[in-house]
Amino acid sequence: MTLEPIFPKILSVRRIPGADPALLRAYGADPGRHTSLGLITVDQDDPTYVALDEATKHAEVDVVYARSFYAGSAHASGALSGEILGVIAAADPAEIDAGLDAIIRCLEHDACFYAANAAGTVTVFPHVIASLGRYLSAQAGIAPGSPMAYLVAPPMEATVGLDAALKAADVTAVKVFPPPTETNFAASWLSGSLPACEAAAMAFAAMVVEVAGAPRER
Amino acid sequence: MNELHTSRTRELVAVLRRELGGAAPLPPPPPVPEIPLPPARIWPTESHRSSYAERTAGHTTALLGVGHCGTRYHTDLVLQFQAELAVAHGAVATELEADWAEKNGLLPLHTRVSSHREFLLRPDLGRRLNDASVERLRAEARKGVDVQPILADGLSAVACMGAGMELLGHFTRACEARGLSVGTPMCAHHARVWLEDEIGEIVGAKVAAILLGERPGLGTGDGLSAYLVYHPKVGNTDGNRNMMSNIHARGIHPNEAANKLAVLARAMIQQQTSGVSLDLRPLLAELGDAVSGKPQAPQARVRLVEVPR
Repeated sequence: MTLEPIFPKILSVRRIPGADPALLRAYGADPGRHTSLGLITVDQDDPTYVALDEATKHAEVDVVYARSFYAGSAHASGALSGEILGVIAAADPAEIDAGLDAIIRCLEHDACFYAANAAGTVTVFPHVIASLGRYLSAQAGIAPGSPMAYLVAPPMEATVGLDAALKAADVTAVKVFPPPTETNFAASWLSGSLPACEAAAMAFAAMVVEVAGAPRER
Repeated sequence: MNELHTSRTRELVAVLRRELGGAAPLPPPPPVPEIPLPPARIWPTESHRSSYAERTAGHTTALLGVGHCGTRYHTDLVLQFQAELAVAHGAVATELEADWAEKNGLLPLHTRVSSHREFLLRPDLGRRLNDASVERLRAEARKGVDVQPILADGLSAVACMGAGMELLGHFTRACEARGLSVGTPMCAHHARVWLEDEIGEIVGAKVAAILLGERPGLGTGDGLSAYLVYHPKVGNTDGNRNMMSNIHARGIHPNEAANKLAVLARAMIQQQTSGVSLDLRPLLAELGDAVSGKPQAPQARVRLVEVPR
C-alpha cells in the first residue's frame, strides 16, 4: 500500500556516564562541559537526525556526533549498526536519560519513512518539523524554533520532488544534499512558514509517489 | 498530549494518501505513553519546637533554629543569607588601597605576591616578604623590642582599613601601659598570618603580633583577628600561636581586644612560650570568658536587610 509508514527500528541504545575525556574529544564533545554520552543506532538515518534534534528541546543535551553509514542499513557492518550512530553529550547522566527518552519517543511515534510505491521499494521522508531544536537549526543555519521541511527520497525522485516542493509554496531551500550522500539518497531542507513547509512537503511526497509509479514518462 | 509531542507529518501523509486514492486508512500510530506526574508534595502537619534548640541558637549568630516553610527556608531568611554572603564576597574581593599604609604613617611592607588573585590562590607566597621589603625592614624598623605589632590586610582589606588603626593604637598603648617596648608600626599588604614569623625574626622581637582581616563569614566582612607568637621564627606552626578572632563592632570591641592581647603578650614574655604550652590559668581574671571554657553569653543577630511588611 502506498504511503504506508515504515517504522524505524532502534537497534541499540547505550549510556556512558563519566566518559573518558579522550572519547569525549574524539566524538566532538567538550570534556570541560560534558561528562556523559548517550548513543543510539537506528536503521533509518533521517528520522534519527530529527529525533536527535527533538532531544535538544527536551533536555540539556548537545548532539555532538551524528553520521550516516555508507550505503545504508541494507549493507550494515553488523546487526546493531543500522544506518546511523547518533551521540548526545551532557553535563550529567540524568540529562542523557531525558534526551534518549525524547529520541526514542520521536522515533517510535513520529518521524519515519513512508513507502512511495505499493511494493515499498521506493521510500520517502516528507517530514515537517514545526519548531527546530538547537541541533538542526545550527546545521541549517536558521533560528531555533523556526519550522523546517526535511525531505528525503532516492536520487531521481528527490530531485524531481524538490522542484515540485519549491514551486508548491513560499519556501526557500536552506540546504540541498544532492546524491550521492552516504546512504545514496538525496535530501533537502526547506525553510518558510509552517503552512508553507507543510504544503511543500506534501507536494514533494506526491511527486515522489508519481515518479515511482511512472518512472519513464517524460 | 499527543499533539504536543509529535509533528503533524503523519496526519498530512494520511490526507495525501486519501487524495491519491488509497482506500484503507493509515494504521493508527502507537499511543504515546503517559508521562507520570511529579510526586505529590507532602508538607509537615505538626510544628516542632524545642526549647533546648532555641536556647542554643541564642548563643550564636550562626543560622541555627531559623525555622522553615515546607522543605525550604523562609524568604526573609534567604534574603538575609544572600545579603550576608554578598558582604563576605565583597570583602574578599577588596584590595588594600595602594598608599593606605603611608597615609596612616605605617611602614609599608609587601609580600612575594604579585596580584590579588595570586594572593588568594597562593598562601605560601603571602607568608614571606619580598626582597625590597626585607631591605626596608632591616633599615628602618626598631630592633630588639618586646612586642612587634603588624597590621595587615589578610583576607579582608575592608576590616584592615576599617578598625585596623583603632586596634593597632589601642594595642600599642595597652602594651606600653604594661611596660613592654613596642616596635615600629607597620602594615603588610597581601599578608597571611605566618608572615609575622619572618618579620618578628628580622626585627628580633620577643613577641610578634599580626592584626589582620579574618576570613569573611556570613555578615562579617569587617572582622579582625590577632595572632601572637613568642620567639617568632620561620618554621613556627599554628601550635605556637595564640589568637583572638571576631574583633569588630558586633563582636569583641577593639579596645577590649587590645587589652586582652597585651595581657597575652606579657604572659608569653613571662612564661617564655606561646601556643598550646602557654598556661592560661593565671590569666583567668584578666581574660575572662575567652579562657574560662564556659559557653558564650547570648548574642543577637544583626539584620542586614529589612523586609517591608
